[in-house]
Amino acid sequence: MIRRYVALIRNAWLVDLQYRASIVLWLLWGVTEPAVALGIWWAIAGDGQVAGYARADFARYFFALMLVNQLTIAWDSWYLDGWIREGELNFRLARPLHPAHEAVAENIAYKARTAGMILVVWLVVSLVWPAVRLPLAPGRWALTAAAVLLAAAMRFFISFTTGLLAFWTTRATAIMELHAGVSLFLSGRLAPLALLPPAVAGVAALSWFPYMLAFPVELLTGAAHGPAVVQGFAGQLVWLGVWIAAYHVTWTRGLRKFGAVGG
Amino acid sequence: MMFRVPRSAFRVLAALWRLNLAEELQYRANFVASVLGTVFWIVTALLTLAVFFSHTTRLGGWDYWEVVVLLGVFNALTGVIEAVLRPGIGRLAGEVRSGGLDLVLAKPVDPQGFVSFRRLDIWRLTDVVLGLALAGYALHRLGRTPSLAQLAAFALALASAAVVVYALWVVLMSLAFWFVSVENLSVLFDAVYEGARYPVSAYPDALRFLFVYLIPIAWTTTIPASALTGRLGPEIGVVAALVAGVAFALARLVWRAALKRYTGASG
Repeated sequence: MIRRYVALIRNAWLVDLQYRASIVLWLLWGVTEPAVALGIWWAIAGDGQVAGYARADFARYFFALMLVNQLTIAWDSWYLDGWIREGELNFRLARPLHPAHEAVAENIAYKARTAGMILVVWLVVSLVWPAVRLPLAPGRWALTAAAVLLAAAMRFFISFTTGLLAFWTTRATAIMELHAGVSLFLSGRLAPLALLPPAVAGVAALSWFPYMLAFPVELLTGAAHGPAVVQGFAGQLVWLGVWIAAYHVTWTRGLRKFGAVGG
Repeated sequence: MMFRVPRSAFRVLAALWRLNLAEELQYRANFVASVLGTVFWIVTALLTLAVFFSHTTRLGGWDYWEVVVLLGVFNALTGVIEAVLRPGIGRLAGEVRSGGLDLVLAKPVDPQGFVSFRRLDIWRLTDVVLGLALAGYALHRLGRTPSLAQLAAFALALASAAVVVYALWVVLMSLAFWFVSVENLSVLFDAVYEGARYPVSAYPDALRFLFVYLIPIAWTTTIPASALTGRLGPEIGVVAALVAGVAFALARLVWRAALKRYTGASG
């Protein structure tokens, strides 16, 4: 299995190599939303604080968000939607390997490249802009790496499962857009969750959204500590389990339906 | 010679859009989906503003309903982009790569005009209506009735905004001739345009300079909204028209330089 994965990742890496400019554009697209949000919060905070967040805190939060978002992003629902509608899934099912493995390999190759770029940019920026420097805390970084891995796995299963809905509906990608719209607020993309109205933050806490982004981001910036860290990891594990289960159900049922149609 | 448009161009355009309309009318459910999508987007944008304004009373000196006016303008322009620009010129990068552009160049029409306006996603024009309605409602909430001069300035500034947006698309899409392996150039536009959702006065000085003079997205939303709310005098309409003229001419130059690099690929 490991040999297969090495081959798949190498393959995906080489494919990406042909589209370096494209990848830079996607990267740019990914960081503008947090950059604009940072610009607005920067203006609102002025020289004071917003709910305990000063300008420098916002800067660190949104830089961390750019990195974590890039590391955990998943676009599989768009691929799956196309594969199912246009029948390409047939070819992929005929291969001796579950199609998800290829998707995971592409995911890893792409993220290794893009997250690397963000890290380099962050390092360079932090040389001239002290606000975005993080305190040296290797233990915290290791925890963040674990949280990012769990978040990436969860987002992958969310995206993959939603894409599988294309077995039943032609609007699977619309459902994913809807999910993205809600996540703007509940996962902390627009603002740290502490800045949302308490009722909204309360709803967020009951959903999987904060574990996709807000938790790893706050772990990295140092905003989350003590029991919040334990609770965060517990939430990530529970919701990851839920989404893996959802994936299993949609995959087996959907495939049965697909087989019936293609028969 | 640069701006002369032969009459046949309009006939070609009318024919293209008539075919297009007939095609789109087959998919009426798309209309409902499009309206729902727009409503969802507007609600999301309003909630975003609500979050910002729960911690401040002004954004770059603008109060809540003023920013909503701007949001309406943003949405109206998004309608123009999604209805006209993305379906037409958005396809260019792929065609440069595959050589499909050969078929366009072989036609006896102006390639820039043809590439830009060949396809129309009419359902997205509802965004224009909904956006203007939102701007009107926000204006009502501000308790302002624009004077005739202000309305005229707004109309002129909005038309200029559409031209500026168009010029940005032409320039960005022309990059496809230099970076052939890029298919997602329109993403670059989305990234830049994201900055137009808020008044430019909310951004730090360097960004403001960038948005006013270099990547002129300030002229797409901030200026028309300012003309409508009376934040800027009616004469801004004339300035906006001049900016649009310059942007269009520059875009035309870039397009011509780009086209010279095209060698075809379909052989």
